[in-house]
Amino acid sequence: MNTDRKAILSRVYIVYFFVCLFALVIVGQTVNIQVVEGAHWKEKAENLTIEYNNIEAVRGNIYAADGSLLATSVPKYEVRFDANTPSITDDFFYQNVDSLAIELSNLFPERSKKQYVAELIAARKKGARYHLIRRNVKFTELKQMEEFPIFRKGKYKGGFIYTQQNKRVKPFNILAARTIGYDREGIQPVGIEGAYSKELRGINGKRLEQKIAGGVWMPISDENEIEPVDGSDVYSTIDVNIQDVAENALMKQLKLHHAGYGCVAVMEVATGEIKAIANLQRTKDSTYYESYNFVVGAATEPGSTFKLASLMAAFEDGFLELDDMVDTENGTTKFYDAVMRDSHKGGYGKISIKESFIKSSNVAISKEINRVYAKDPQKFIDRLNKMYVNKKLGIEISGEGTPYIKNTSDKSWSGITLPWMSIGYEVELTPLNILTFYNAVANNGKMVKPKFVKEIRHRGKLVRKIETEVLNPSICSEKTIKMVKEMLEGVVQEGTATNLKNDVYKIAGKTGTAQIANKKLGYKYKKDIKVSHQASFVGYFPADNPKYTCIVVVNAPSKGVYYGNLVAGPIFKEVADKVYATSIGIHKEIHKKENQAKSRIPYAKDGYYPDLKKVYEEFGLKTNQGNEVTEWAKVNTDVAAAHITARKVSPIYVADVTGMSIKDALYILENQGLSVFFKGKGVVKKQSIAPGEKLVKGNRIFLELE
Amino acid sequence: MRNRTNVFTNLDWVTILTYLVLVIIGWLSIYAAVYNEEHSKIFDLSQRYGNQLLWIGLSLLLALIILMIEGSFFTSFAYPIYGLIILMLIGVLLFGAEIKGAKSWFRIGSFAIQPAEFGKFATALALAKFLSVLGINMKDLKTKVTAIAIVILPIILILLQNDTGSMLVYFSFVLVLYREGLSGNVLLAGIYTAFLFITSLLMRIHTFTFFDKEIGGELLLILILLVISTVIMYFTKKMKKLWILIIAVLICSIGVVFSVDYVFNNVLEPHQSKRINVMLGVESDPQGAGYNVNQSLIAIGSGGFSGKGFLNGTQTKFNFVPEQSTDFIFCTIGEEWGFLGAFVLVSLYLFLFLRLIFLAERQRSTFSRIYGYCVASILFFHFLVNIGMTIGLAPVIGIPLPFISYGGSSLWAFTILLFIFIRLDAERIYVLR
Repeated sequence: MNTDRKAILSRVYIVYFFVCLFALVIVGQTVNIQVVEGAHWKEKAENLTIEYNNIEAVRGNIYAADGSLLATSVPKYEVRFDANTPSITDDFFYQNVDSLAIELSNLFPERSKKQYVAELIAARKKGARYHLIRRNVKFTELKQMEEFPIFRKGKYKGGFIYTQQNKRVKPFNILAARTIGYDREGIQPVGIEGAYSKELRGINGKRLEQKIAGGVWMPISDENEIEPVDGSDVYSTIDVNIQDVAENALMKQLKLHHAGYGCVAVMEVATGEIKAIANLQRTKDSTYYESYNFVVGAATEPGSTFKLASLMAAFEDGFLELDDMVDTENGTTKFYDAVMRDSHKGGYGKISIKESFIKSSNVAISKEINRVYAKDPQKFIDRLNKMYVNKKLGIEISGEGTPYIKNTSDKSWSGITLPWMSIGYEVELTPLNILTFYNAVANNGKMVKPKFVKEIRHRGKLVRKIETEVLNPSICSEKTIKMVKEMLEGVVQEGTATNLKNDVYKIAGKTGTAQIANKKLGYKYKKDIKVSHQASFVGYFPADNPKYTCIVVVNAPSKGVYYGNLVAGPIFKEVADKVYATSIGIHKEIHKKENQAKSRIPYAKDGYYPDLKKVYEEFGLKTNQGNEVTEWAKVNTDVAAAHITARKVSPIYVADVTGMSIKDALYILENQGLSVFFKGKGVVKKQSIAPGEKLVKGNRIFLELE
Repeated sequence: MRNRTNVFTNLDWVTILTYLVLVIIGWLSIYAAVYNEEHSKIFDLSQRYGNQLLWIGLSLLLALIILMIEGSFFTSFAYPIYGLIILMLIGVLLFGAEIKGAKSWFRIGSFAIQPAEFGKFATALALAKFLSVLGINMKDLKTKVTAIAIVILPIILILLQNDTGSMLVYFSFVLVLYREGLSGNVLLAGIYTAFLFITSLLMRIHTFTFFDKEIGGELLLILILLVISTVIMYFTKKMKKLWILIIAVLICSIGVVFSVDYVFNNVLEPHQSKRINVMLGVESDPQGAGYNVNQSLIAIGSGGFSGKGFLNGTQTKFNFVPEQSTDFIFCTIGEEWGFLGAFVLVSLYLFLFLRLIFLAERQRSTFSRIYGYCVASILFFHFLVNIGMTIGLAPVIGIPLPFISYGGSSLWAFTILLFIFIRLDAERIYVLR
């Protein structure tokens, strides 16, 4: 028994031993592979002839609010020529170079056949293996090029090399170009392209590919890839129609005044959506191009448009009322040794605060602000800041200019800072800052952040909705809002911008005419020195129930006219008119039935009866026909109905085709056997053979159309 | 006094814990192996890791059910269970579906069940039942034959299904028979035959030149065997009885050497002989039969000491290694967790095997002991061959790594196998011999 037990025990130990031994062997081999031979295997992993290569994801599109395409990607090709590939012999090359040049010159006529020949031969002689034929070749052009002599032999025998690139295209060209922006490698991205780069870009895929003969990478299988995730589409707030009007109006005005640059932005009051944003700058050859986003980036001294903020501060602090009176003296007043002037020589006499704003009196406003705040200028600054005048808006697109409101602790603060600040000097704001501030007034004190993008969709499915962000639910009291609205409406009704007044809808706003600081001279008036101006107008409409706010800034108009109402005003008017005309929401509801009743039922050319009946029925219009139903009919319309009367076509008499279109007339008359001649456009007015005359086949009939 | 009615107090929680850890490692590895960004949610049922989670859940349920069944059920029903499985193995030959060249699956809807996986525990039960009969002696020829027959029967049926990998697993029962008294010589003979087989495979491709005469590698091997035998016979000339044995061994050896060619070309399938050749380094075919192993080695090798990190394995992520969530799952661990991960995994397994043998040895009931050995042997064989093949030590044989590899059938089969033993172990104090 004992030996038995021992024998069994020894067997157990042997089993233990083997289990441990094998485990050890496995660990040993693992060490061997991973540590001893590790470098070898790592190298192998990297040097596999199988590689995973990137598949570029398709970049998303940028759309306008109505779905028009603002930016998209299209494939473009770069075509090169290996002029020295061994397969092209001298004989073959010189025999075909002429015909290749002809084809190239036909497809791309910028260069003549001769130039192409010279260029190709030069490349051949130089032994160029990567000679550039053309960049930005479209797909259809590429397909044509593949059939050209020499090229048609392919990559190796014909030296035809091309690479594909995805080019970003803006179908509307410069329309809002700067705001749409770009996102290219190595360049600071701008605009919506830059701000939503991550969403637009998508995720590149990976595909397992094997290197095969000739250095070509071939996908191994369909399954082995990580599919690229195409970029999402960005739906901007831009309204193509408003944008178009804004851009054209701006262009016209800039050309007229030969201005340095100008910009327009339209914002929806409630949502902060930017409906249009145009920036044009004069280039060296006096054309205008969108090359910098002035609306967003250019912080300048706003001038008179800032008076709104100054007076609002004083109203808020309870220092002033609309009908407080102020003496404008003789149109000038002195702060220390600095002279403040009104543009109206001789001044306005004694006027109310409201009038001073409407007439944009520098003297009145600076005097009053200085009077009430001189003891404690910091209170003025604090009040402005409380109204978010100094806040950077934090919009999504890059390059936003920083607003600058001087503080009493600043070194440059002087005794004349306060009065000058009150009329918009010694402060810097971007057009977008001013627009947002005025928009807040239009929105009854609720300041919303301007937004450029409404939503992001992926393959039509909503991914993210960009909500309107409220920067400040109430920048001032309701009372103040009421007061300033009254002033703003006054500007257009009886003030500096009466040229914008119209009967259809009310505009409220403020003109601005700022002198641009000359670095050497400051603001001092000096004779013989030409002072540069910046004209602007900012306002909202319809004034009773504001829907849109708009700002126009024109910098350095150089034809002698520089007042805000005259330079910037017309642009504002044109944009506002267009927006008003196309926005149904703004109008009072039109009484449809009333209007419809007055109008006639649309007129139709005489013609084929079933067609006429169908069209009228389709539109739900009343028709009225006699008992007799024929193939051809005559139409008379009035307010009540379209009267369709029968029109007989007899086999023996010439038919009456007057009032018909040429299509129907031809059909009827030629069927009758007449040969028809006609001149003019429209409906048949006269026919040379009177209706009802006996038909003679083969006769000529002349028709006059009108 | 321990609570007799509540079996859960007597459970071997150490083993259960090890089991759970392995299952979780497996699930994470499958997630890493088939990971793609589009389906990065770990509970995605359209993905393998999602399915595996479902199967893990069902396995745990299965384990619970087994733990609630009295151990005596398994002793009394060992033969009927065995019979049922044998019937299923026959059935699969008639009605089964063919997957990857093996006709070993029952297809029910979108699920497929592989009876061969369940044959393992059934055979283990039957073998344990037979060998635990009182007074049985392993030295009797009849015992040996019957025991071997119990194992051979499923082997033949699985071989007919063309599922060589699963069939080979049944040879691990030899280890059990050895523990129960089968002569060690049988094991020795087996090892010797395998050794001779491999040596002749390696030598037959070479020719050697002696005194300007070319001799084939096989002939040289036989010559060497002759010389060795002669030398042994010279030293044992006083024990003539041994000579008979030596001569018998020599003749058999020569037979083996000459049969290698035949076995290699006629018995084994071409892909099998190719895999063996690749493993031995006789043949190199990195794009064909050697592709799996080569890619697997690249994956593990590039993992280095501490690995590339969870979900960062480039070789496995891009499916360089075929079957990486099933048979080649060890690559994923090797690549992403490096040597440390592989070492931890091997240690876990080693711990499990030693624990199982320890548990088996402490059984009072012979049935439980033998069954325990069966469990340990089967798991050990799987472990050895599976990891062996991924690191190039064994030919490519498609068997899963227990508890880790993707697959419902294998996970359930291993769970049943293990938990029957855990249940038996929990009852050990109340069971008489």
